[in-house]
Amino acid sequence: MLTIQGLTAIYPDKTKAVDGIDLIVNDGESVALIGENGAGKTSLLLAVVGVIESLSGVVEIDGVRLGKKTAGEIRKKAGLVFQNPDDQLFMPLIYDDIAFGCRNLGMPEDEVKARVADVLDRLNIAHLRGRSPLKLSGGEKRAVAMAAVLAMNPSLLMLDEPTAFLDHRARRSLVETLKKLSQTKIIATHDIAFAAEVCDRAVILKDGKIAVDGASSLLYDEKLMSDYRLEAIAKG
Amino acid sequence: MKNATKNLYALEQLSAGGTCVHRLHPLVKLMAAAVFIVTVISFDRYAPMRLVPYIFYPMILTALSETPHSMLLKRVFIALPFCLFAGVTNVMFDTAAAFTVGGVAVSYGAVSLVTILIRMYLCVMAVLILVSVTPLSEITGEMRRLRVPNIFIITLEMTYRYIGVLLNEAYSMITAYRLRGGNKKGVDIRDMGSFAGQLLIRSLDRAERVYNAMACRGYALQNTLRRSRRLTPGDIIFLAVVLILCATFRLVDVNRLIAAGIFGGV
Repeated sequence: MLTIQGLTAIYPDKTKAVDGIDLIVNDGESVALIGENGAGKTSLLLAVVGVIESLSGVVEIDGVRLGKKTAGEIRKKAGLVFQNPDDQLFMPLIYDDIAFGCRNLGMPEDEVKARVADVLDRLNIAHLRGRSPLKLSGGEKRAVAMAAVLAMNPSLLMLDEPTAFLDHRARRSLVETLKKLSQTKIIATHDIAFAAEVCDRAVILKDGKIAVDGASSLLYDEKLMSDYRLEAIAKG
Repeated sequence: MKNATKNLYALEQLSAGGTCVHRLHPLVKLMAAAVFIVTVISFDRYAPMRLVPYIFYPMILTALSETPHSMLLKRVFIALPFCLFAGVTNVMFDTAAAFTVGGVAVSYGAVSLVTILIRMYLCVMAVLILVSVTPLSEITGEMRRLRVPNIFIITLEMTYRYIGVLLNEAYSMITAYRLRGGNKKGVDIRDMGSFAGQLLIRSLDRAERVYNAMACRGYALQNTLRRSRRLTPGDIIFLAVVLILCATFRLVDVNRLIAAGIFGGV
């Protein structure tokens, strides 16, 4: 379970990225973070894993409170898939990239191998095992970036704009994959239709604060969505 | 430039192979390469012939690991100008005659140039073979185990990773520049300052995002020792053979022995 209380986070240039957020995400829930550009979606995800500094407030995952000493423990529990997979894939081989996190967790090589094989199979990308990230399509890169995080078996999976750069087919495949995953999910996205399909709860952010928190059916409410400069999903 | 990025990591991609050399313990491969390099460097600069037996090390390992020799040679040539420059200055200043061939005097400088070139070939090949049969993460892991100062290892890891980041950013910027640059072939000299500045800033920004992604997957700047697999008898035999041969060729002048065998004493 993720518990966030009064979280305020700042960037090194002192820009306030997240401002007094309170949020509880229960095990198995899928939450969509919606909001216009600069609303604080990515910043909130980065603050949860301690990449950007928290000025005040509490982040707790499965009973572990985020702090300087516990950042490693928190990052075992919460996996973040970055918006741009190129930022995440930096090893010469897909295998090594997926194994990177497991190796950092100190797993023996046999277990690393088994985890990588399992996650490659689950995401149907076993054929990419020996390839270089430089030679992949956008959809393949996205799948590998997700595999790299899933291999660490986090209890909380966070995805930042997962449908960016994806064509219709790759997007569909991502929807199916995410629906199969049992982890708790937080998905920051502009793709409202995607959010409605994958998530059962939606949180609208504005200026670093939570403006609305409710069932994903609110994504169909034209009046509410237009109030936050968002486009509702057309009914029917 | 895109090709440069691909070429940069092409050698390490070979490390995923499954030959007997790939299967050796990374510590053994690292130690063998280190011993080989130290031994090669330890020879006198006027004794190029003593280095000849060491050519078997890269030859045998290249063949066993099925590493394309041309791929390695291309990279050896990158180091060639630097060594030539160092060697040519020897030719200019060390002009005393070492011996004569057909009446032509060969200077000590020329002999040392040959030694430098052979040394360079052997050392660069040893490093390239190590990289082509061992993933960098395993090499740095074993370096940590050997208590090499962490700052050196981090610098090595980061430099290696960020060269690709820098090249990728430069490629994107040059493409964007060309698309709006009319018929310009390269970057105009008056745009070079802002181009270089932007490249640096963009690379730093991208490098920070890459680092964040690494940190999110448990990478820490402090020591992260991984559990290493056990040494097998094959690993120990390989290391022992390399150590014995390196020491033998260092202590015994094999060329002289062979010549003595053929000509009955020289």
